[in-house]
Amino acid sequence: MISAIYSFAMTTGANRVVRGARIEHVCGDPGLGPEKDYAYGMRIVKKALEAITVPVSGPTLFDPHEGEAVHAS
Amino acid sequence: MRLELGSFPVRLIAFGDATRWSDGHLTVNKAAALAEIRRDPRIASADLQIAAPGDSVRIWPVRDVIEPRIKVEGAGHCYPGICGRDIATVGQGRTHRLAGMGVVEVSSVNWHDSGGDFVETYLDMSGPFAEMYPYHRLQLLCAVVEPDPALSDESRNDAVHKAALAVSDHVARATAALPPPEREVFELTPCDPALPHVVYIWGVHSPQAMSGSLTAFCTATYGLTQLTPPWILHPNEIIDGALTGPYRTAFAMSWTVANNPLFLDLYRRHGRDWNFLGVIVLRTEWTTQHEKQMIANQTAKTAKMLGAQGAVVTWDAGGNEFIEVVRTIRECERLGIRTVFLTSEDDATDGAPTMLEPLPEADAIVSTSFFKNVTLQVANPGSVSRVIGLDRKAIHRGSGVGLHGGADAMPPTAGALPPPWRYDDHYGFGSLSCIE
Repeated sequence: MISAIYSFAMTTGANRVVRGARIEHVCGDPGLGPEKDYAYGMRIVKKALEAITVPVSGPTLFDPHEGEAVHAS
Repeated sequence: MRLELGSFPVRLIAFGDATRWSDGHLTVNKAAALAEIRRDPRIASADLQIAAPGDSVRIWPVRDVIEPRIKVEGAGHCYPGICGRDIATVGQGRTHRLAGMGVVEVSSVNWHDSGGDFVETYLDMSGPFAEMYPYHRLQLLCAVVEPDPALSDESRNDAVHKAALAVSDHVARATAALPPPEREVFELTPCDPALPHVVYIWGVHSPQAMSGSLTAFCTATYGLTQLTPPWILHPNEIIDGALTGPYRTAFAMSWTVANNPLFLDLYRRHGRDWNFLGVIVLRTEWTTQHEKQMIANQTAKTAKMLGAQGAVVTWDAGGNEFIEVVRTIRECERLGIRTVFLTSEDDATDGAPTMLEPLPEADAIVSTSFFKNVTLQVANPGSVSRVIGLDRKAIHRGSGVGLHGGADAMPPTAGALPPPWRYDDHYGFGSLSCIE
């Protein structure tokens, strides 16, 4: 599940939760302009594809922002 | 801050030669009131009509119901800030209100065209559906207004609400020089320090995330509807209308905000049952988890800094706004502030909880019933003999059988209609009210 409210999503029974952008645009950010919006969306989707290849034993968060010093949202 | 509220009961509204109030009778000079609306060149058409309790009448589309209030002593104007009105801080001196009546804002103008929000409220004045709302007991003066369709969403919204306020001001002004038949003084007087310190955390929706606009119409604080940090308002500011505006659900329109029974009871019992500290307005519908948690943290911190030992929490929305509201409750409890939450409930489809994110800290909850008319099995209101407003009722998907069911339609307004999809008694007007 890709969700902007990811910690709540983890309480709903989803085993793999990918941190999305905002509620009104979960897989991107139109404020970034078309190119960066696309790149950001790809990053989230790739993280989601990666997530389904990883075995998990319970609700697990996959964060496309991982490794960043500052959170985008 | 001392405020005297003078009430002028209205038992009958009629059109006549001059606008005046006398012994419960409000006479309205229709031409003079319409002239005040038409002073705004953005208005293309305007009419005034009267609806009384028991009439076989349906009013559609209803964007707002306003209780006429006017400042007769002290700074500022009632309903400050909205539609460019004076922003002087209100809450002192004397205010007059026309009790038992409302000015109804009737127009086809939608909040915004970004999707998700649409005007859906209609009001009946007789029958079981009418009795579900406090408005059926009011004498209603309906301002049926259409602005120039070429204007922007925001300009049309501003023009229509300004027109309704012009009517409200026009009739309220009739009381300015009269002695009020009923008076009540509101003041946060010093009281026994042993009484529990209580704050009211009042969640109000912001349309900003859906509309993409900083000025889209909704319940406003001094005219602002955008996502803002928590506001601390003196309860007298609420009485003077610092929190007001048209709204998408019937139970958070201006009249219901001004007459919120929970708020009034909290205030009237100040110094006797508790020390009422004031109102924190919590703006809701933040759009990321960080924002929701941050605003919950900051609201709880604000309550703690005010000295709150207890907090009563309400909200006026549905869906994702619940997250910041319930997390505010959790953060209050973590800071040692005991909370009581007044809320409606969703249905329990497929075994889901009736509240989006049930948290163990929210352990004192007063339910005002399910919020969907389909869950409540509300029967379709029957036909009526008179319509105020538009002849056809736009039914968006979901009006009949839940948010995503049914089909769009445009049936005659006067015939049998499905109720609006949402019935949400945010402040306890129903039988589960806060009054003991």
